[in-house]
Amino acid sequence: MDDRVEPADAARALSEIDRRREQVIRRKIFPSWWWWAYAVLITELAASAESGRGVLLGTGIALFVAGSLVVDLPVRRASRAAAPRRGLAGPGAARTTLIGSAAFAAALLGVGLATGISLKAAGAPCPGTIAAAVTGVVFAIGGPMLVRLDAATLVRRSRSRQ
Amino acid sequence: MNTPRFDELIHAPTRLSLVAFLAATGWADFKVLRDSIGLSDSALSKQLTTLEDAGYIEIRKTFVGKRPRTSARLTTNGRTALDRHALALQEIITGAGSSMLPANPTTQQP
Repeated sequence: MDDRVEPADAARALSEIDRRREQVIRRKIFPSWWWWAYAVLITELAASAESGRGVLLGTGIALFVAGSLVVDLPVRRASRAAAPRRGLAGPGAARTTLIGSAAFAAALLGVGLATGISLKAAGAPCPGTIAAAVTGVVFAIGGPMLVRLDAATLVRRSRSRQ
Repeated sequence: MNTPRFDELIHAPTRLSLVAFLAATGWADFKVLRDSIGLSDSALSKQLTTLEDAGYIEIRKTFVGKRPRTSARLTTNGRTALDRHALALQEIITGAGSSMLPANPTTQQP
């Protein structure tokens, strides 16, 4: 290497530093099937609750808990393998993520309740199960979108901190 | 406040990628580093050893069941060196770094 570094080389090096930070922020933790697995588990839990039979409800809860543990295993591993450093995107980043997640949870609850109440009023069979299935689909479609949006926000915030 | 200091050890492309990745994480698994940076096992081991010898990273070897797991993280010295290196790069770009010389010219790039 020369004893002087060209500005173009310096710019490349700085952009590599930015690129690697973005890579960490955007690293995929949740596999696409994870969202759909939870959609199935939510529906299964609702169906067992709606059955009104104690044995089915107990089995449904046990299945949900066991299923969650299995489904979450690769996510826990992936998140531990290279967790973004705390404060990477500034002090308010965690709050932004939390607000986004809470708003998403509230939206899911709203969708579930609205669908369930509407179906029950219309006299549809198994309104709770259908409402949970609809909520699960919204979760499976909206979840990855929320994660991408959150990552984009974190990247933008981390850039603005420089 | 850090002062700019060009660091040739960090500036080598592969090591820059590694250090920049580690700067954004806490502990990072060997496999994640290998796949993210796109290195072979042996090339990554060599770079990690170089960075560990320089005191820029810390390497941890643990066992998950019977499987060994190697992780690395940036030390405070490593983080400071990267910050100072980034400042030096910025100075070069803005033209203020007229006397910017590599601080460690004896280190060979792989």
